Amino acid sequence: MRTGQQRPSAWYAAPALLFFGLFAVLPMVLVVYLSFTDWDGFGFPQPSGAENWSRLVQDGEARDALWLTLVLMVLSWAVQTPVALLIGVWAAGRQRNRAVLSSLFFLPLLLSTAAIALLWRSVLDPNFGVTQSLPFLDRFNFLGNTEIVIYTVVFVITWQYVPFHTLLYQAAARSIPVSLYEAATIDGAGRYKQFFTITLPLLKYTVITSTVLMLVGSFTTFDTILILTGGGPGTTTRIAPLYMYITGFSGFEFGYASAIAVLLLALGAGLSLVVTRATGFRDMQSQQEGV
Amino acid sequence: MTVTRTATLPAAPAGPPVARPPRRRGRAGGRRERPNWLAGVLATGWLVLVAVPLYYLVAASFRTRQDYLSTSPLKPPSAPTVENYVTVLQGGFTTYLLNTVIVTVGTVLIVLAVTVPAAYAVARNAGPLVQRMFSLMLIGLAIPAQATIIPVYLLITQLRLYDTLLAIILPTAAFALPVAMLVLTNSLRDVPKELYEAQTLDGAGPLAVLRHLVLPLAKPAITTVSVFTALNAWNGFLFPLVLTQSQSTRVLTLGLWDFQGQFGTNVPGLLAAVTLSVVPIFVLYLIGRRYLLSGLTAGFGK
Amino acid sequence: MTPRRLTRVAASASTLVLLGSLVACGSSGPSGSGGGGGDTAQVWALQDTNLNPIEEASIERFNEQSEAGDAELATFGNDPYKQRLRTAIGSPQAPDLFFNWGGGNLKEYVDAGKVEDLTPLLDENPELKDAFLPSVLAGAQLDGQYYGLPMRGMQPVVLFYNEQVLDAAGVSVPTTWNELLTAVDGLEAAGVTPIALAGNQAWTELMWAEYLLDRVGGPEVFQNIRDGKEGGWSQPEVLEAMTMLEDLIDRGAFGSDFASVGYDVGGASTILAQGDAGFHLMGSWEYTNQLGQSPDFVTTGDLGWTAFPAVEGGAGDPSNLVGNVSNFYSLTTDSTNKETAREYLSTALTDDQYIADLIAAGDVPPVTGVRDQLEQTENADYSTWIYDQTVEAENFQLSWDQDLAADEATEMLEQLSLFFLGEQTPQGFVDAMAG
Repeated sequence: MRTGQQRPSAWYAAPALLFFGLFAVLPMVLVVYLSFTDWDGFGFPQPSGAENWSRLVQDGEARDALWLTLVLMVLSWAVQTPVALLIGVWAAGRQRNRAVLSSLFFLPLLLSTAAIALLWRSVLDPNFGVTQSLPFLDRFNFLGNTEIVIYTVVFVITWQYVPFHTLLYQAAARSIPVSLYEAATIDGAGRYKQFFTITLPLLKYTVITSTVLMLVGSFTTFDTILILTGGGPGTTTRIAPLYMYITGFSGFEFGYASAIAVLLLALGAGLSLVVTRATGFRDMQSQQEGV
Repeated sequence: MTVTRTATLPAAPAGPPVARPPRRRGRAGGRRERPNWLAGVLATGWLVLVAVPLYYLVAASFRTRQDYLSTSPLKPPSAPTVENYVTVLQGGFTTYLLNTVIVTVGTVLIVLAVTVPAAYAVARNAGPLVQRMFSLMLIGLAIPAQATIIPVYLLITQLRLYDTLLAIILPTAAFALPVAMLVLTNSLRDVPKELYEAQTLDGAGPLAVLRHLVLPLAKPAITTVSVFTALNAWNGFLFPLVLTQSQSTRVLTLGLWDFQGQFGTNVPGLLAAVTLSVVPIFVLYLIGRRYLLSGLTAGFGK
Repeated sequence: MTPRRLTRVAASASTLVLLGSLVACGSSGPSGSGGGGGDTAQVWALQDTNLNPIEEASIERFNEQSEAGDAELATFGNDPYKQRLRTAIGSPQAPDLFFNWGGGNLKEYVDAGKVEDLTPLLDENPELKDAFLPSVLAGAQLDGQYYGLPMRGMQPVVLFYNEQVLDAAGVSVPTTWNELLTAVDGLEAAGVTPIALAGNQAWTELMWAEYLLDRVGGPEVFQNIRDGKEGGWSQPEVLEAMTMLEDLIDRGAFGSDFASVGYDVGGASTILAQGDAGFHLMGSWEYTNQLGQSPDFVTTGDLGWTAFPAVEGGAGDPSNLVGNVSNFYSLTTDSTNKETAREYLSTALTDDQYIADLIAAGDVPPVTGVRDQLEQTENADYSTWIYDQTVEAENFQLSWDQDLAADEATEMLEQLSLFFLGEQTPQGFVDAMAG
């Protein structure tokens, strides 16, 4: 036996591969198969050709749901990014009460999604909620008005995830050398100029990471909306994953729901490729190859 | 490259930034601190948005139902009562909590058991097959678990695991693998290869290297992965929703949702349940804030 | 040991750890969960704070006396129940006895061959068959065979009102649709929400649609749609009823907040009890619900109830009821405890104590000869009223969402919620359902 080449054999990866294969890859393959069946929950799936797919192509509701998913992704990103960036940079500074305040900021992180959705459903209740006891806010029905409700959902998602992104920005902002700011101050650059010429460029990678995480996060949002609005009122907040879930587990059209799921899988895989590209995991990998 | 890595994985090697000792104010040549009004206002506004609902949550959970319906939600409870908590604790809450703990611990154990050796293999380049597997897993990063729920349901019933805690643990763990692999692999790649070689020269086989080198060095990453996986399992909703059905296998998140129907009009009771569900994590936060935050930032904190 | 073998050992060791943790987790799962396969008959029912203890007590009594075997009750919330039942019925862990609403809802399970025919059981025990009200027993009758036995009270949908609010607005209790419209206008002028509606879930809105359709078109309209007859949804009565409903909505009868009011969090019930609304159309269980939630509202006599108004010139008889005919227990064909289950069905549901408990909880059991008992109760006014209504009703239409196949019902509820939001016209509703 050679003793010079002491690398772990591929067997080390076998359990992980087996496990991932059985409970993640196999379901992905199965869902593609199911999308070609008319399974209704009873018995075993029977093939039904491409019926579900031709239906999906013509399904206006599926198109609406996908569009809504996209809107949710973009809106969540547009709201969360500036808030998280500014608070993160601020929290990285040296204000006296910063430590106390920052620990309060992060409290939403401790609540589960179910808890957050139930809390906000109660806070925004049109009859007994907190918003109903406040001036101005009592004029709005945040969960019942079809024009407003999507922004309510974005707000609740923001409430849940901004602390996390703040944490990312805070960490990154702290790693910026103070000497850069000192030099800029000597050059007479003001705070805002410093922000745009030093902070923001140096946070570029964090912005990318955080953006990707936000997009992935809102793409996979499910329980927040299920509990908060159930996809309503009407279909105003019925995003694609929820549409799939309702089709499958309320209408019991598992075959058709699987076709929607395959679409989600494809979009998710595409997004994953973007994730790995944008964050440079790929590069890291290629650089390390042949070590 | 370094920037990327610190940005995406701030916690793994260096420990969480929040844990660093606070910089002393007015350090030599420190720049003049002017109040940053814009960010300050924003931060204060955010504070209000966080504090008010949480205050409401706790206050309402101590109200009687009458009090809840008749007084302003922001006033302190007129006659505080722990009755809601008693109702919740008698309503199966402890079972739900125990189930969630079992699911969480089980998921973490499985994830660690399979990913640590696998990440070691990937980091030490155990062959093209392994690298390809790693790439495949990375594609799983943004796969929404919902998209596979129907086949997972089918699979679980065929394995006769429907309505067991294992039914929740297995898919939850599987979908935690990509992030876990990513964090562990990156941390092991940061280990200088001279260290591996030195061990090898001493005649240590891969298993010994795993035990004496990899495990100690990957400790921060393992903590990170554990916390991240645990939080995901703790918060899991969809898998329990579809894969379990009886009260004895109900986990906390699902329990909260069911409390809503069970308590009917008892909103303070529901809010007491929500409050109680936060307590375990809050206690952990107080004990190990550093690790908790590291776990949150490290993985993708979905 | 050679390094290569060592590696293998390591790999299999980690596999062992994995398997070990699996086994450990598996065995730490609670026992007695799941269903079929065990020797305890699993009984599934819908969650209900008031009734579950009674059902539990019934099963406990049964377990003490039964020679066949034991039974065990598991309960679920409304939506989770439907999901879990459907998926569990197809799984190895199906329950032995399951709660259902009869009608089209049960038909899907019968068609899939998952439900045992109970007709022989009833033929063997004629006194059992005679114990139930025939019109209610018919709720679980499909193609002439009985597939379920009634196990909870009858729950017609009732128009509740707050007497104090109506008096203050100078509004009288309506008996016709036009009177209802007048009442709505009167209440609106008085500054209260005329009708409380928990529109967060569409089944509450459905109650308005199905009652109106019954009053306008009668039971045949429902049958044609359920049986999938050509042009079922395009029957002119559907459009007419939806147009009348649109008029009601446009008058602001339901206020502006209804879309986010949840019945499950007590929204609409509380609004009525607190005097912020005049009417509330809800299942008969609402009485018990109000009794638990706002006892003063009930005991002071402010809570009133009446039949759904007649529609002038409509084909439906004003005595017709809509709602949960009853709930039924049905036996699964895959059950491994059929003897236990049959014994439970034939002894426990007509047991004196069980009926007495149901009555005491405010239910009106679907059995013959209990009017005297109902008169003895504290809520005699209400329960005898319900009993008489159900006995006298010319037709008792099962709630529409339970009477259609799941996919069609889901679509209808969705279209209905759009309709209530004003995002769907009556014609649009018809077209969407017919298409």
